Amino acid sequence: MFDSFLFYLSAFLTCFGAVLVVLERNLMHACIYLLMSLIGTAGLYFTLGADFLAATQLVVYVGGVVILMLFAIMLTGGGLENKKDRLANLLSYIPPMGSLKSYIWGSITAVAFLSFSINITTKLVKSTEINGSIKIGPTVEQIGVKLLTDHVLMFELSSVLLLGALIGTAIISRPSKEIFLERK
Amino acid sequence: MNDNIVSYVLSLFDTAPTPLLVFLIFGVAIFILVNVMALIGGLGTYAERKISADIQMRQGPNRVGPYGILQFLADGVKMITKEDIIPSESNKFLFTIAPILCLSGVLATLAVIPISSGFILTDLNVGVFYLLGVSSLVGVGIFLGGYASNSKWSMLGGMRGASQIISYEVPVTISILTIVLLAGSLSFKELISGQGGYPWTWYVFHNPFTFVSFFIYFVSALAETNRAPFDLPEAESELVSGYHTEYSGMRFGFFALAEYIEVFVVCGVAVALFLGGYKVPFGLGGDTIFGQFFQIGSFFTKTFLLYYVVIWVRWTLPRLRVDQLMSICWKYLTPIALFNLVGTATWIWLFENKSMVELLMSALSGSGSTGH
Amino acid sequence: MLTTNMDIYIPVVALSAIGVLMVAGALIVGHFLRPKNPNKLKNQPYECGEDPVGSAWANFNIRFYVVALIFIIFDVEGALMFPVAAVFKKFNEVGAGGVVLLSILVFIAVLVQGIVYCWKKGDLDWVKSFKVPDSESAHEVKE
Repeated sequence: MFDSFLFYLSAFLTCFGAVLVVLERNLMHACIYLLMSLIGTAGLYFTLGADFLAATQLVVYVGGVVILMLFAIMLTGGGLENKKDRLANLLSYIPPMGSLKSYIWGSITAVAFLSFSINITTKLVKSTEINGSIKIGPTVEQIGVKLLTDHVLMFELSSVLLLGALIGTAIISRPSKEIFLERK
Repeated sequence: MNDNIVSYVLSLFDTAPTPLLVFLIFGVAIFILVNVMALIGGLGTYAERKISADIQMRQGPNRVGPYGILQFLADGVKMITKEDIIPSESNKFLFTIAPILCLSGVLATLAVIPISSGFILTDLNVGVFYLLGVSSLVGVGIFLGGYASNSKWSMLGGMRGASQIISYEVPVTISILTIVLLAGSLSFKELISGQGGYPWTWYVFHNPFTFVSFFIYFVSALAETNRAPFDLPEAESELVSGYHTEYSGMRFGFFALAEYIEVFVVCGVAVALFLGGYKVPFGLGGDTIFGQFFQIGSFFTKTFLLYYVVIWVRWTLPRLRVDQLMSICWKYLTPIALFNLVGTATWIWLFENKSMVELLMSALSGSGSTGH
Repeated sequence: MLTTNMDIYIPVVALSAIGVLMVAGALIVGHFLRPKNPNKLKNQPYECGEDPVGSAWANFNIRFYVVALIFIIFDVEGALMFPVAAVFKKFNEVGAGGVVLLSILVFIAVLVQGIVYCWKKGDLDWVKSFKVPDSESAHEVKE
């Protein structure tokens, strides 16, 4: 019974959070709804039995990316406008990104694509039980063994990727020489 | 591997699990744990005032109840009946969410704390990693608290607090990695089962690298909880009260409660990782119910000793400046932690995971039998 | 020993819910116990007795953002190292410990190069002192 409760709770958090992110005018509120959505995604990973992936989602996304986004909003001076969120009229519920036409076209396309893909996948999946078909095993050890035997090159390449990201950060955030000469 | 208190209780009575029984046992255990933690949080404030009074050669609270022990109840009543002032320009939604995030983040870490071999609420397979992730919610809560108050002091305190918390998570992660190398698993029960009851079997004395790693973990985790000497985000002399300037009454009470429970959790994790967890020396009690009580006692004794050290450090050392804070983290603690990680891995490879004491004993007995 | 596999996550959900309920409960209880006299002076943000001037945030330093980015990179590195660290002991018993040690060393060496680069170029300093090449005065920006 708790299986389905956990699944429904995580799905509700994910979808509701995502919808609120799109509909919210205030940037900081949207970040908090994103946090809610990411926690829901971690819950979905838990229901699938991928506990290490869920914990990684919590550590990297909830603990890092959300704070990064909050800092980025502060950096670009956001959050100062739209302090009062009043709903003027029903038209203000249209999301700020894009016009009415693009919103309608986008939703029609999404519904069409979703119905098509669900039609295909439900024919392939034999049973839709949630519990009983997931094996809770030590996923951490399996991932570790795979990382060191099959995918060891990917493991080392990921460190090079992280090094590239680090150097890119350092270079982008460095002020250029012209700024000093101006300040004198 | 995935033991928890329900399986322990059910094995005591030899009954089969039903959903109702599972929920009931979990409910009772969570209720007990949350109450005990709230009590520890409240008594922590009392202990802090008494110990600081002792260090500063004065009395401390001694009016409310015998030796002033009910002081935290009086503080709680005062906080609830205070007027709830929300600043006019603030963001009401974020203002309310910030203490909720802090408190939920800290309470969710309680689910994996190993109090005894039977009383772990749930021994997740990724226990340590999950704990790291959930305790980052406190950083988000602090930042929101600073931002939502819309006052210059709070904003500055919130930004500094959040950047301090995320910076010091790096040495904490690397120190925990050092112990995971030794134990071979991420679940708390396996981390503790690799240690024994006697001090020389603890991981802190396993090799010199883990010894240094213990201090790095302790210092970094202390900085993560915004505790002195790292309490710049809430510094009284600089920022009036940092990110919780504008919070009054019970809202401030939740920030304080979350901080004290977080200090307890940090000490508990340090005990579980480095100081042998709940293992009792001489194996007192064995596998019976009495053994559980001995284990609970052992865990709480070690944790409270570390808690005392935390309070002692706060009232002894001066506060660090913000640039000293950041340079300590990135220029000293992180390189030393990385060096410890590599050193421990090398030690395990060279000496087949034998601790210093084992090597010493085998060297002494080996030379004793062949020498002279 | 549980009814389903997911029962181990009950305390996680329950404790987070208790966190939310505790705050909500205390605030609701206090709602009835508190005095309620909002006053324009009381609701002003605190500025040591002066009248608050201007909005709360005028200037922002980029080093907060740089610290957050560097943290994410080391966080992902830690997350990648956790499974490797968890199986190192098993590999060591089989005899392949040296190879795993080599992988770990290469991984960490690459990232140490990154942190050395940031250190040398001054990105880890909280107080940056910029020395303009053709003048004697150094301009210091302190937070």
